[in-house]
Amino acid sequence: MPQTTRTHFQEELLALERQALGGLDMVVTALDRALETVQHQDVELASMVIADDDRIDGRYLEVHQGVLSLLARQAPVARDLRLVAAILHVIKHIERMGDQCVNIAKLVPLAGHEPPLDERVLDIIQRMGAQARQQMIECGQAFGRRDVGLAQDLVRQDDEIDRLNRDLFKLVLEIGDDPDRREWAMHMMLVGRCIERIGDNAVDIGEQTAFVVTGLFREFEDASHPELAPPTA
Amino acid sequence: MTDERQERQREVPERGAPGVRLDVHHGDSAAPGVEGVEPKLRAQREAVFSLKEVTVRYGTKPAVRDITFDIGETEITALIGPSGCGKSTLIRCLNRMNDLIPGAAVGGRVLYHGHDLYAADVDPVEVRKRIGMVFQKPNPFPKSIYDNIAFGPRVLGMEGDMDEIVERALRHAVLWDEVKDRLKTNAFGMSGGQQQRLCIARALAVEPDVILMDEPCSALDPISTGKIEDLMLDLENEYSIVIVTHNMQQAARVSDKTAFFTVELDEDEKHRTGRVVEFDHTEKIFTNPSDPRTEAYVTGKVG
Repeated sequence: MPQTTRTHFQEELLALERQALGGLDMVVTALDRALETVQHQDVELASMVIADDDRIDGRYLEVHQGVLSLLARQAPVARDLRLVAAILHVIKHIERMGDQCVNIAKLVPLAGHEPPLDERVLDIIQRMGAQARQQMIECGQAFGRRDVGLAQDLVRQDDEIDRLNRDLFKLVLEIGDDPDRREWAMHMMLVGRCIERIGDNAVDIGEQTAFVVTGLFREFEDASHPELAPPTA
Repeated sequence: MTDERQERQREVPERGAPGVRLDVHHGDSAAPGVEGVEPKLRAQREAVFSLKEVTVRYGTKPAVRDITFDIGETEITALIGPSGCGKSTLIRCLNRMNDLIPGAAVGGRVLYHGHDLYAADVDPVEVRKRIGMVFQKPNPFPKSIYDNIAFGPRVLGMEGDMDEIVERALRHAVLWDEVKDRLKTNAFGMSGGQQQRLCIARALAVEPDVILMDEPCSALDPISTGKIEDLMLDLENEYSIVIVTHNMQQAARVSDKTAFFTVELDEDEKHRTGRVVEFDHTEKIFTNPSDPRTEAYVTGKVG
């Protein structure tokens, strides 16, 4: 094996990837707090989630600048170039996950002070949240390990969130007959939508994993062409 | 020249994580909000050189004029620009190499750790010991690898075990493992890239403070160039490095700061003279330069 060169560039690239994936830890915390605000109508905690999103936005800006810097200074090619491009997508998806947590936190005070609740709705939201949390962690692992199999498995996992979201929709329709709980239930439907989007962002990060490894970008699931989706593991 | 610098303990900068030069708001830092992130800049360093309105003339013709900027300690500063812009002329001012050119005259002030490099009591030999130079073409002496390294320390009467001095210099230049079993063979038997690293090791052997590199990789293939660039980044922790390069990407890859030179007609429109258009952090020069002439040059739209 010949002695490798450009070790400093490789170290810099690795640090940039870690900086981007570290953003996932921040959004996992944001999601945990957002789910807690929903469970307990904790408006103070909701404010914290909203305020802390500036840190996630800050991480996005750092990584964005780091990507520009690496492209300008190091002119990466081949897999290195794909990795730099993918890192930019990854941090954008992470930033969007953070925004969805903010959206959830903003819905809590809108749902009213001590609204009449439905435990079944809260249970579905918590299960959706737990599934999204798992996907957040696994998309980071898949990307970091360049594990295409794990990345593709995110589609299967995301189907569970989608199924729960449909259950939530039906439940909210049912609750819609109750004027006392109708408004709260509608807001919870929006919370479900936010969590469902977080799951989609995790799948998007999985797709970037496959792009880095194979050099081909293809959506795991194309909503407009479902027949073209590759079989999942 | 005083011995103040020699006595002063060299400060090794904190490197932190490998991507430290990228960190402005790293980790749990305060949010930058929507203000955006400026290019990640390393902390301001002490100046090893302060150039103050430096003008170099060959006879009556100024080759470069009014150069003013500071070169930081333990960082890599690149001088880039088109042919004839005076970047090689300027780098040769930094260790008084221009003294050897008849008719060359340096105006303005070149301060080295605050001391005027061109003051009457300064010994140019001492200057060149502390401020080593590596040239475009590898220029080993027609001697053994060992004697190439030992030459400088012997001439300067450096104390210590010569074998240790040679090994330390070769290790510093990441050449030891390649040549340790053939130290007594002629240096001309080495590859071009090895010869250039030998020249760097030779410069390091006399324990300089600064290494000047004038197009050090232009005669080398990409693999050897990569090794020299890695070596520069390794040495950056302990030495201040100034590099002249025609290869903009090389400046972008290795340097912390970049000075962009251009060549323009003088007011009398008779002479073309080099000037510094922009001096800034390399990341800034290559992502968002301030001067449109820099932008045009780094994007390849003029040249």
